[in-house]
Amino acid sequence: MKTRSITTGLNALRLAAAVIGLLLVGLKSAHTQSMNVGQTTAAKKGHVDFIADGQSITANQPATVKLHFRVDPGFHINSHTPKSDVLIPTRLTVAMLPGDPEVTNVDFPAGEPFSFAFEPKQKLDVYQGDVVLTAHLKAKPGQHTLKAELYYQACDHAACYPPKKLPIEQPYTAK
Amino acid sequence: MRNALVGGIIVVVVAVLVWAGIHNVKARRAAEADAKNHQMTITVDKPGATASMDSPVADLRGKPAAIFTLTSNTGKRISLNDYKGKPVLLNFWATWCTPCKVEMPWFEEFQKKYAAQGLEVIGINEDEDAKSPEIQAQIKKVLENTGVDYTILMSDQKVGNAYGGLDVLPATFYIDRNGKIVAQAIGLAPKEEAEANIQKIVSGS
Repeated sequence: MKTRSITTGLNALRLAAAVIGLLLVGLKSAHTQSMNVGQTTAAKKGHVDFIADGQSITANQPATVKLHFRVDPGFHINSHTPKSDVLIPTRLTVAMLPGDPEVTNVDFPAGEPFSFAFEPKQKLDVYQGDVVLTAHLKAKPGQHTLKAELYYQACDHAACYPPKKLPIEQPYTAK
Repeated sequence: MRNALVGGIIVVVVAVLVWAGIHNVKARRAAEADAKNHQMTITVDKPGATASMDSPVADLRGKPAAIFTLTSNTGKRISLNDYKGKPVLLNFWATWCTPCKVEMPWFEEFQKKYAAQGLEVIGINEDEDAKSPEIQAQIKKVLENTGVDYTILMSDQKVGNAYGGLDVLPATFYIDRNGKIVAQAIGLAPKEEAEANIQKIVSGS
């Protein structure tokens, strides 16, 4: 009887320790999150973000790696083929070091039509929201990182921002 | 005995939860206050000023306009000092800036309308690589299309630092006869607002 009550008591203690441990872990992450509030609301310089994700391709044959960008709400960037030659097109420069898988081509999506409210007759070709570029390459088996730089020029509904460079890294596995 | 143990554990767990709650609220309040201090405030000149910016816009009103010497698109060396005693509309623009090209014809119109009262309109072109033949041709094309005949100067890519950094175009500064910036417009502002600002600097009020 005594042994059973000691065992039960010990189990209860173990359970309590586990619960308290979980609470403390939860606290730490909540604390970290609330501390990060200040940092995440700090202003960014550019108006386009890159969203890296995990990608796998088949090794040793032509394959594609997707590059996900997101234009800030309320902003647009010129497409890769804007309708006027004075407008700055969105471009991607891929860094290729000796030994890197060769990127043979990058596909840009079609732009969407856009006009400023103050100039409805001028039709622009722009990207807004999510923009996915497709890099064509062939890689040997293993872990790789596609490094590139996006060059873009953003405007909102009444002002334009100088062209910006956004360096990106997209990891992928070739199997 | 067992009940006392279980009861004790419950008390400890509840106490930890209460402490966590209080601590979390305090930490969140501190973070929010800190974030407010770092938050970028958008200062716009007048109602109707229109850009949505996420970096601080320098408010240069009341400050003396920084003096510069730049080369015009016709090769002349021109200083802001050359216009001492005159009201100046100083506009920063670029060929790739669509809103800029909407207001440039207005500025040309105002240059003519207020010339007798001494108004000088100066446009500073901020195209990168403006010396290349390609950009030179684009600048020429834009000036033709907008009908602009007022003074156009080529940026040295440094003058903008004295005028708020030029994170946004168009950026327009209205300078009175004493060389003081009395109004500014960051982003495309309505034509009526531009004219009202001009009237301020030509009348000296």
